[in-house]
Amino acid sequence: MPTDAVQKPLIDHAEPIPPGAYWELLMNLTKREVKGRYSQSFFGVAWAIAQPLATMAVFTLVFARLAKMDSNGAPYPLFAFAALVPWFFFMNSVSSGTLSLITYRNIVTKTYFPREIIPLAQVCSRFIDFFAAAALYALLMLAYGAGVGVWGLMAPLFFLLLILFTVGLTFATSAMNVFYRDVNPVVQIALQLWLYLTPVAYPLAIVPERFRLLFVLNPLSAIVEGFRAAVVFNRAPDWSITAVATTIILAVFVSACVMFKRMDKYFADVI
Amino acid sequence: MDLAIQLDRVTKRYRAGRSRTVVDLIGSALERARGRAQDVHSTTRGRIDADIWALRDVSLDVPEAAGVGVIGRNGAGKTTLLKLISRVTWPSNGRVRVAGRVVSLIELGAGFHPELTGRENVYLGGGLFGLTRRDIDRSFDRIVEFADVARLIDTPMKRYSSGLYARLGFSVAIHANPDIVLVDEVLAVGDAAFRRRALEALRNLIADGKTVLFISHDMWNVRRLCDQILWMEEGRVRAYGPAAEIAERYMSEVNLQALANQGTALQSHRGGTGEIRYTRIEIVDAEGRPSVALAPGDTLVVRAAYRAERPVARPVFQVAIVDVDTGLVITTATSRLNDVPDAVGETGMIECRFPRMPLRPRQYVLRVSITDSHQLASYDLVSAGPRFAVSGRGSGVDGLADEEDGLVSLPFEFAHHTGDVPVLHQA
Repeated sequence: MPTDAVQKPLIDHAEPIPPGAYWELLMNLTKREVKGRYSQSFFGVAWAIAQPLATMAVFTLVFARLAKMDSNGAPYPLFAFAALVPWFFFMNSVSSGTLSLITYRNIVTKTYFPREIIPLAQVCSRFIDFFAAAALYALLMLAYGAGVGVWGLMAPLFFLLLILFTVGLTFATSAMNVFYRDVNPVVQIALQLWLYLTPVAYPLAIVPERFRLLFVLNPLSAIVEGFRAAVVFNRAPDWSITAVATTIILAVFVSACVMFKRMDKYFADVI
Repeated sequence: MDLAIQLDRVTKRYRAGRSRTVVDLIGSALERARGRAQDVHSTTRGRIDADIWALRDVSLDVPEAAGVGVIGRNGAGKTTLLKLISRVTWPSNGRVRVAGRVVSLIELGAGFHPELTGRENVYLGGGLFGLTRRDIDRSFDRIVEFADVARLIDTPMKRYSSGLYARLGFSVAIHANPDIVLVDEVLAVGDAAFRRRALEALRNLIADGKTVLFISHDMWNVRRLCDQILWMEEGRVRAYGPAAEIAERYMSEVNLQALANQGTALQSHRGGTGEIRYTRIEIVDAEGRPSVALAPGDTLVVRAAYRAERPVARPVFQVAIVDVDTGLVITTATSRLNDVPDAVGETGMIECRFPRMPLRPRQYVLRVSITDSHQLASYDLVSAGPRFAVSGRGSGVDGLADEEDGLVSLPFEFAHHTGDVPVLHQA
């Protein structure tokens, strides 16, 4: 039975995928990613919180106890954890996202679909980790008898900035890594160093003036400081560095999307 | 006539050799800065600008509701053509235009994840073909029924056999409501029953007005599915036209090439313990002239000379004819009662004669062996012996010469009786 009486016209691009299927595919690839990561492990998703928790413990020992780091009056574990949760979301997304198009070369070279979905699924699969760790943060707050004030409502804004920056950077590194495999080791090393050049273990306030520009141009500074202002200190974020970060993040995001679209026609040829 | 696929002077060029690295990138940037020609790359690490031309200047119009077989040797550009049509890759030059949704079966179940269950993978795979959850909900039962995996649908797919994996992949694809289906040699997996159903399903798609492009080395399946054939050679279209005509031309050329490649056959694929071995195997016709191309109904004679280290008691000589595409056609063996003396000496020759050989026009290869009297231990085994081809329209014993009429040609006769006939076997 011929399903469509009207002959479809010849077109130069692939027939557009309906948005519903686009969303469906993203969700399914995310699920595939999460299941692949945690299935057949006894603790399952519990591993998602082990990473920030263990790092928090080490940071507390090294920075709070040994180096007597000033955490602006807040309990140091809370101070560090509030920054480690967004940090690991960013780091893990970019880290696995960079390799994602190579990992999924099987479908990239064999079927057509919008290629953005693959790095996006990597970022989405880290939402679970983020929210599991955020739930743990809530428990920590209870344990320390701390509460969330009205400035806590700013947290979603910083989460949005975090997502935009993570997605933009992941688009860029994953696409470049298809063409130049040197990108991946560079990214992995950069992520290691980036942690220490971001005010995660220490407050931005202690950064000397001559290094300050470097930190202001790093959008993650504004993001982790913003999360802290919202859920640790219950105060207004530093609007000026937040504005700079927002501008940089939007520029990175837009140019990464443009770059990705221009490169994705050639993925299957070189992957 | 409406077109489903149109290629206009399409060229596809790949970079050959190693892939570019950042060093090359910096190198070419430096050279550009110095004003040198841009296509010269890293002088220290070898040229990387050598190109492979996968397709050269290909123009093609495929009408809708067509079944097109795509044939040609490995590297002729068949898979590249399919990748361009499915938008997996883009042409270097020229224009590819397609009407409607394309579903490509370049590898069945490529998007599946072994940790997910069959059910979850149906949704994952369907999404890759552009289906929404509701689309898949609607056709889920048909997908499962066609693939015949109902029993295992909630089992992780890592427990599936490769045939089952492919079956589910095929089923999801053909239920994705495609306008154009691209099939690349994927029916090689799966059992015969599934292959038959898959071909049947593709045939139904064509009948429904869909277009199917079918890459296969199996001319038998191509002829059963396709009314047109596209013959690719070295990235160009060698011929495109009615299936029967192109298939005939292609087969006769392949047969000529087979004739040219006879020499090395005995060296490869050799097995057995070696007490006695064949030294020469040849195919001759009824008059004893060496021959590699026969017509249906001709007499085929296989002559095989052997040499033994010392006399071997009661050897059994076997000659088998194997269809290159579909497998064994017949195995024959000497019987020790009358064909061969009880013990054979150092050298000798056997001759196996097939009078009025009832084979259809296809390609065949001889498999010859020598075993002990129980046909258990093998002294010699030549699994890829000389090839021969049956071609042309010589009359088979049944007067039917087309390969579409079956694998072998058997004498047959019908009778017709009027009126009530006693039924011997109640159905």
